[in-house]
Amino acid sequence: MSIDWITVGAQIVNFLVLIWLLKRFLYRPILDGIDAREKEISERMAEAAKIREAAETAEAEHKALIAKLRAGQAGALDEARAAAEAERDAILAETRKRLAREEAEREAQRAEEARRFTAELHRSGAEALLSLTRKALSDLADETLEERIVAHTVTRLREVADELRDAAGDSREAVVLTRAPLSPEATERLVNEAASVLPGFTLRFDTDPSLGPGLNLRLGGAQVGWTLDSYLDGLEAVLEDRAGRAATQVTQGSTDAA
Amino acid sequence: MELTPDDTIIFTLGGIAINATIVNTWVIMALLTGVSVLITRNLRPDVPPNRWRTTLEVIVGLIQSQIEEISQRRDGRLLYFTGTLFLFIVVSNLLTVVPGFDSPTASLSTTAALSLSVLVAVPMFGIGSRGVRGYLRTYLEPSVFMLPFNIIGEVSRGISLAIRLYGNIMSGAVIAAILLGVAPFFFPVVMDMLGLLTGVIQAYIFAILATVYISSATAPAPPDDAKNAKEQT
Repeated sequence: MSIDWITVGAQIVNFLVLIWLLKRFLYRPILDGIDAREKEISERMAEAAKIREAAETAEAEHKALIAKLRAGQAGALDEARAAAEAERDAILAETRKRLAREEAEREAQRAEEARRFTAELHRSGAEALLSLTRKALSDLADETLEERIVAHTVTRLREVADELRDAAGDSREAVVLTRAPLSPEATERLVNEAASVLPGFTLRFDTDPSLGPGLNLRLGGAQVGWTLDSYLDGLEAVLEDRAGRAATQVTQGSTDAA
Repeated sequence: MELTPDDTIIFTLGGIAINATIVNTWVIMALLTGVSVLITRNLRPDVPPNRWRTTLEVIVGLIQSQIEEISQRRDGRLLYFTGTLFLFIVVSNLLTVVPGFDSPTASLSTTAALSLSVLVAVPMFGIGSRGVRGYLRTYLEPSVFMLPFNIIGEVSRGISLAIRLYGNIMSGAVIAAILLGVAPFFFPVVMDMLGLLTGVIQAYIFAILATVYISSATAPAPPDDAKNAKEQT
């Protein structure tokens, strides 16, 4: 066991060189790397804290926005519901109005059709009645309808002569109104009878195609004569009365059966 | 049987015999430097650390934490010195298991050189910390009569460091060699394993003692010493 001082010196130099080498290639790089990483970690943590703070702020804003939107959504729903209800009410009112209008139109149409039907019935009935009357008079009495109308008018003229004179006032002209011109014989008879019953009065014959068959003698505010329409009106009243009785009987039958 | 690699001359350079101790020291220096260069050559903050870099960071971090525990402060120069001591000794001791490799620490010249380095480093660190007068004043404490004993203690510290390390490493190698001749299959393996453990422990002890010596020399001076050092500077 001995010490080689040359080796000792060389080992001291080697050791000092090794210190320098490790300081250059080991300690400084490692320590600098650790410091850099710690610094970077610190910076990243600070940055992460900032990002987290920003994220929390954004989250709070987002939540507030969501709450606001939800509140607005509820209000919008209420508004939409109210608008929908108003729209529904308006549509219902419009529909009801349109239905009422259509119902009124249908009612008017029905009334018009009834009126037309009644008029047609009236006209048909008048024609049938007139035809039957003419035929009956021709077959049974060998007379025409116009002769019987004139005769009836003359009879009524004698009965109400005084009333006619009173109603005539200052007027001295009586108007005979028919649908078609009278025959000469009928005209002459009517003129002769008027002259005897109503002396001083003249007759003026006039026609109106819209009138029904018959004759009207007007003097002032009074009139006398015979028209088929008055008969038809009576016939219509009788028919309506019969129809009402039939409906009442049907209703009573249904109630008894129930 | 050669007890020290100093006796093995590898080659002669300018009339100076280069023995196995020096050559093997160069090998260890090259190994440590090469590994360090390889691992730290691509060391940038933006590159994630790999397992080798992490291993080096753990080793350096452990050395640094041990030094901080002893000296209660962070000192880069102390890390360079005692860290290199530890790494050199531990690598040398671990390489004793390599057949044909004579550990430099099995040479008393190497351990003496390391001890001398510590002996020189202690006053240098002390003077660097306290100043010349402040450091020399420590030899007169607690009284002037303690000066010779303090000097003897300082020298004996170096001698004990050198002899302890040399004795442990050399004896381990010698015992392993003897057992290899007596029982070549089992005991040498056990002794080598024990030698590895002993080598690491001795490296740790050497580095720790060096750190303690240097730290005691560089410890914060009492108020009077600090005042004297300030006046001197």
